[in-house]
Order: sequence, then C-alpha cells, then structure tokens
Amino acid sequence: MKAINILSIILAVFLSMGCTKKKKGDYDLDPKETFVVNITSEPPSLDWNKSTDTTSALIQDNIMEGLLEYNFDDPDLGLKGSLAKNWSPNEDATKWTFELKKDVKWIDGIEVTAQQFADGWERLLNPLTASEYSYFLYSIKNAREYNQGKIKDFSEVGIKVTGPHSLEVTLVGPQSYFPYLLTHHSTYPIRKDVIKKHGDKWTDPENIVTNGPFRLKVWDHDKAIILERNEIYYGEKPKFKNILAYMIPEMSTAINLFDKGQIDAQLVLPSTELPVLKKRAEHLESGILSLYYFGFNVKKKPMDNPLVRKAISHAINRNEVTKMMAGGQIPLTSWVPPGMFGYEAEIGTSFDIEKANKLLDDAGFKDRSKLPTITLGFNTNENHQRIAENIQSQLKKNLGINVELKNEEWKVYLNTIKMDPPHIFRMGWLADYPDPDNFLNLMTSYSDNNHTQWGNKDFDELIEKAAKELDKGKRKEYYSTAQKILTEIDVPVAPVFSSVVHSLVSKRVKNFPNNSMNRYEFKGIELK
Amino acid sequence: MITEKHKSIISSSVLVALITTLLMNFFNYEIPTFLWILDGVLVGGAFVWYTLSQNLLFYVLKRTTEAFFVLLVIATLTFTLLRVMPGGPFDQEKALPPEVKANIEAKYNLNAPILRQYTDYIFGIFKGDLGESYKYLGRDVSTIIVETLPVSFQLGMYALLVSFLIGIPLGLFAASRHNSLWDNSAMFMAVSGVSLPSFLIAPILIIIFCFWLDWLPPAFWDGPEYYILPSLILGIRPAAVIARLTRASVLEVIRSDYIRTAKAKGLPHRVVLYRHVLKNSLIPVLTFSGPLAAGILSGSFIIELIFAIPGMGKHLIQSVTNRDYPLILGLTLLFSAMLVFANLIVDLLYSYFDPRIKLS
Repeated sequence: MKAINILSIILAVFLSMGCTKKKKGDYDLDPKETFVVNITSEPPSLDWNKSTDTTSALIQDNIMEGLLEYNFDDPDLGLKGSLAKNWSPNEDATKWTFELKKDVKWIDGIEVTAQQFADGWERLLNPLTASEYSYFLYSIKNAREYNQGKIKDFSEVGIKVTGPHSLEVTLVGPQSYFPYLLTHHSTYPIRKDVIKKHGDKWTDPENIVTNGPFRLKVWDHDKAIILERNEIYYGEKPKFKNILAYMIPEMSTAINLFDKGQIDAQLVLPSTELPVLKKRAEHLESGILSLYYFGFNVKKKPMDNPLVRKAISHAINRNEVTKMMAGGQIPLTSWVPPGMFGYEAEIGTSFDIEKANKLLDDAGFKDRSKLPTITLGFNTNENHQRIAENIQSQLKKNLGINVELKNEEWKVYLNTIKMDPPHIFRMGWLADYPDPDNFLNLMTSYSDNNHTQWGNKDFDELIEKAAKELDKGKRKEYYSTAQKILTEIDVPVAPVFSSVVHSLVSKRVKNFPNNSMNRYEFKGIELK
Repeated sequence: MITEKHKSIISSSVLVALITTLLMNFFNYEIPTFLWILDGVLVGGAFVWYTLSQNLLFYVLKRTTEAFFVLLVIATLTFTLLRVMPGGPFDQEKALPPEVKANIEAKYNLNAPILRQYTDYIFGIFKGDLGESYKYLGRDVSTIIVETLPVSFQLGMYALLVSFLIGIPLGLFAASRHNSLWDNSAMFMAVSGVSLPSFLIAPILIIIFCFWLDWLPPAFWDGPEYYILPSLILGIRPAAVIARLTRASVLEVIRSDYIRTAKAKGLPHRVVLYRHVLKNSLIPVLTFSGPLAAGILSGSFIIELIFAIPGMGKHLIQSVTNRDYPLILGLTLLFSAMLVFANLIVDLLYSYFDPRIKLS
C-alpha cells in the first residue's frame, strides 16, 4: 500500500505543476502576408564577407543591397545601380568611380556611406577574416598583397573614399568585367561598429543591421528563418510582410508540404521525378549559366595524345545524355554556356562516329585492344552515375573502347583529381559572374581549377588580353579563338551540357524571380 | 539488506516520474525546472542508492575510469583518422588560391604541427571547449549539440517507448502461444518489422495518414500530432528485434525447473507468466537496449531527414561529408560517451533484474 501512496503523491504533484502549455511551433504569421519558401538547409553563415554557399546568399540577397545588381530584363544580362547612383571607368578602365544614392538608411536609421563599403572590402581582404571569397577583389591594386599579409597598411590598397557618398577604386590593370563582382554578397557594405560590438554573434537576429528590403526577424537553427519587411527601405517596399524560409533537406518531404499548401516555393526538384513534375502547372524552369564537362588527364597515356581526346569528344552524343536526364539540359560542345556573352553554339566537337573512329585509328590504336582500359572518375551521386554509365556505353558502342567507372565520395574525389586525376573525370562550373572570363579563366595553365594538367601559352595570353579589352567585338573574337583551342584543337576537356533548374511555385505567387544567375530576390513578388 | 519491497518502491517511483515527464513533454506542456531536478534526483538517487547498497561503488568507479580512457582513445583515433582521410574541410569544387587557403588554415590553427593541434584539442576538451564548427561559422560545437540533441533525445525516447511497449508484449504473447497461428503471425510481423527499412515504411505511412486520411502532418516537430509518425516508424524496427528476443528468451525460461515448480504449486498461468517468466526473460532484451538507446537517442539521420526534424542525426552524417573536424570529433565523443554510459547502466540493471549475476 505504501508504494501506491507514494506513487499517487508524486503523480499529483507532477500533474498540478504541468498546467501551462508550451506555445505551438508555428510562428503565428498571417498566411496572406507570408511567402513560404524552402531553402533546403541551414545557412552556414549570414556573414556576407565570409559565406560561400547559395543558401546563405539567398537570405543575404534579400536583407542586403550592394553597389550594383543584375538587370535581368536585359538579354545580355547587364547591370543596374543598386545603392550606386552612377558609376564609370576612366579611359583604360583601370580606375572606377562610384557615386552612392543619398538618404539610404540601415534599419537602425544610420545612413549608408562609402566608408562602409571600404570597411566591408577591408574586412573581406583582411587575412584575419580568412574569407574564402577574398580573391574576388584581387584585381584591385595591392589587394592581393594585403590579403597575403605583405602589406599591412590598407591605405595602400586601391580603394579610396573620396566623399561621404563617393568611392574610387584603382585596379591592377584594365578589367572589363570588374563591375559584375560588385553584385556579389561578399562586396556588400558592413557596419564595423556592429561587428565590433557583437563579435561572431553580429549576425544573430537581435544584433544584425542591414539595409535591404527585408530584415532578419527569427533564425531558428536547422528549422526556419523569418524575414520581415523593412519599413524604412529606400526603394519600393515589398507588397507582403513576411518571408518564412524553411530548411527542409528532403525534396519529397518538401513536395508533400507543397501539395498540402504549406510551402509556396520549392526551389529544387528530384531529377528522377522530373518527367511527372514537369507536367504540373506550378512547374517553372530556367537555364542557368553552368557547365557540366569531362576533363582528360593529358599526362596519362593514352590521353597525352590529342587525337585520342578528340576522338572521345567526337564519339559522345550529347543529345543522348540530355535526353536520358530529361531535365531540359542544353547539349553543349562549346565552353561558354548559352545565355552568356561569348556563347557560340557551333564551337566544339560535334557528334561524328566516323570521324571519331578515324581519329583513333590515326592515333595508332587501329587495333583497339592496344588501348588500355580507360578510367572515368566521378563523385558518388545518382545523376553523375547515370551520366557516367551513359558515356561508358556510348564509348563502347561508338568507338569500341572499354571504360571503367570509378566513383568516390565528394571530398575524396576532389583530392583525387587534384593529386592524380584518372583518364577522364567529371567536373562542373557555375557562374560567379556572367562573363566568359569566369569560365575560360579556369582552364589557364596557372588556374587551381584546371585539373587536366594541360597548359597552352597562346590560350593563357588570349584570356589575359580579353579581360583587359573593353571593345566587345574584340573580346568576343578572343574568346572565340580561345574556345576553339580548348574544345577543337587541344581538347583537354569535353563539355557535355548546360543545366536547367526546376522549381515548383504556387499559383498564388506572382512575379517569382526566375533567372539564369539563380538569384532569388523576393522583393518584387505579389501574393494572391 | 535490500529487499524486494524497497526495490519495487524505488523502481516504480522512478518509472512514474519519468513517464509523467515524458507524457507532459509529449503533450507539449511546459515542464517546470524543479520537475527536471526531481527527475534527476530520483534517477541519480536510485542509481547511487543501488550502487551503495550493493557495494558496487568500487565497480562503478572502476568502470567510469575505464570509460574515461576509452573516450580518450576514441578521441585520439578519430583525430588521427580524420587527418588521414583524403580531402580537407576547405576543399571544394571551386579551388581556392593558395594564399586564401593559408589564411583559413591560420585562422583554424590547421597550419600548426599535427601534435600541437592534437594537444590543443585534448586540452580544449578538458576545459569543456569542443571548438567551433568549420561549416557553421561562429557556432560552437557545444551550441550545436545543445540545440539539436534535445530534439533527437525526445524523438528517441518516444521511439524507445514504442519499441518496448510493442516488442515485449508481442514477444510474450507469441511465446505463450508457441507454434500456434498467433505465434506465427506475430513473428511474421516481427520479421517484416526488421526487414522493412524506415525509408520505405515512412513514405507509405505518410501517404496513408497525411494524405488519404488527413489525420497527421507530413513533416516538422511542433506538437503531439507531429510526434506520432516519426516515433512510431523509428520504434518499429527495435520493437521487432525486441519481440524476437523476448520470445526466444521466454521460451527458454518457460522450460526451466522453477517454472515447472510454480505451475505444480497451482499458480495461475497468468501469474507464472508475468511474475516469474517475464522478469527473468528480460536479460537479452536488456543487453540489446544499451547500444539501442545510445543509437536511437543520438538521432536518426533518415527519420529526421524525411520528417524535417531539426535533430542531431543530420549533423552526425553531414559533418563527415563536410569534413567539419571539430563537429565530427564532438559528436563522436558524445555518442561514445552515451554508449559507454548506457552499457554501464545495463550492467547494473543485469544484477538488479537477476540477483544471480554478480558484478565486481
């Protein structure tokens, strides 16, 4: 009996205590005023000088503005001023001056000034910040040296504040695409006072100070972020109050929630379900400036022979790959992707089995058994697997060569292609800025991203010359020649396709930003 | 001397306290701090009381010291393996210029001699500092644990409860009707439970309960209705294992002499089964429970992924993909500590359930 008495007392105490109910997990937002989007994962950092991923960028681009922004209405993807009223280069494009809009305020009421841009760039370049994007500003005079720690005095760097609202930037040499870099979140202005006061915690909702159309209200780690309209935003204010950004990693879960009407936009779709999802009325797609390619290790026999590389590139039917993927990818033989200045569809090696076989015969492999087994490497991933298997069967069928597939976990793979790449390896590139330089630069002999071990002085020179050239016609010529060296003559790489992103966006959302730079700025959205 | 009566009073009060807390937690009631403290005192008190009354103090101290060294070895091994593993935390598709990489390595002390990095890390642990995540800038590993572990722990507790509440009765039921149709169907269910992976069961149940019947939400972790599906699905597989273990063990015990004696004395079947058979059959289940609890409480990657639950399971897997050294080390240590501790508890419970087992 005693035991039962004790038990009932405990039970009574517990129950009498527990009468307050916790508030429910939802955020009590007016659904009519709330745009709900899935950003897939926790943003690693909202510190725009430091973050490097697209999730963080999505949030940052909605709460902050920099000097310039893309003009997505322009088919050539030009620029327009964001916080800059006007900007202009000197004659040889080595010096750029920027004049800021006046009366633009941070959310705490303090005015945006040129000094805050200089502060941001100093912080980006400061070796102690250890920002991965610091090299973005290496084209500024002495910026690289400052980042290396060789120069300690920031006044020697070519960034000069010439007035409360004007800024002058001196470059190492002429660089035609420099303004594009100023659309990037790493170059946004900062509030040094805020960062100094709060240290690493300055990006927490209660500390952060921003200047964009929205402000950070809640950051529930691993779960959701809430942005609220910035009522003192200088431009046209958003027509709705909140953005609720969930972090749901699993695509099918997000699609379930989308079907339940709990999410308005899902920004990535599972490739295997695309054939079904593409038929839905809510489906949207947009080509993005990207490149999927196979590189050849030109130091590894038989890939040291350009004829073999050319033969392989000719033997790949890109259409077959994109058809199999069924994601609307655009087959690509040139290096510069469609949608960007410098794109020429006809550049590169076309699909030609006869020519491919003849090239391989000429390379001394008439007897195919003389060819060693070719290894094709890729990082473990369902899509890469499907593509690699397709290439494997195409090369067997079209050229009679045996290809062995080798997949590795992502970081192991990165290490492999850096240290000892296989004969053929998969890689990709996504534009940092919409200029051919961003793509062609990575195949220069000194580029850390060129894993083929190939180098060509003429190619390097063309790329350097093109970067300095301000005349668009001449630039296009240089890039055209460079692309031919890369994809027709030396062929250290075989481009395969350019990607398309697919999303589901609810019918209640109007003016959803759908663009080739994958930039999601939601200020223009209207909700029904 | 400890008597059966003491034992039953203490174990029932601990159980009632814990179950009440769990229920309140399930129905989203705010649990007052002192209730947490009461829980802690009851559990800790029972633990200490049992240790002292059974003269197991020396044993527990010995095991704790051993655990300390085990954890030290695990920390060292993990640290070494991470450095040997190809690919570093800052390797990425877009290669970084060497000077940028140098700045990053300097910031995270990765350019220091490896031995120095090791000693820094170990001394850091002693000071309670697990370091800062490389991926989630500005967030300490301990903060990430504090934010995500409670969610995983909560889900794990419900799943454990589900697995015991289904598994033990099912096993007992099957064994008591040995070789009948009931036994066969129960064991068929158990085999299915073991063999069907959760990533298959989950979508099926989601379609049924969230879309066809529209009773439960398909994702998130915001209240009782959200807890049901994930807990159930996570609990199914261990429930099936427990059912099979219980059945096998009950069948063995049921054939022993003392059960025959009890039956010969004329005790009703039910009393024999619940009072004499069950308790002595739980030893294999107990053995299984230690690692099970540690594994399930530290988060399930798949369930958390499917239901978008902000738990620790995701970090356990993704930290390795990201080569987030401090986070991997912190989570590995936490998991190991939970495992070692769970096993110690299980060993103590052995002697509690079966006094013939002597710990020394």
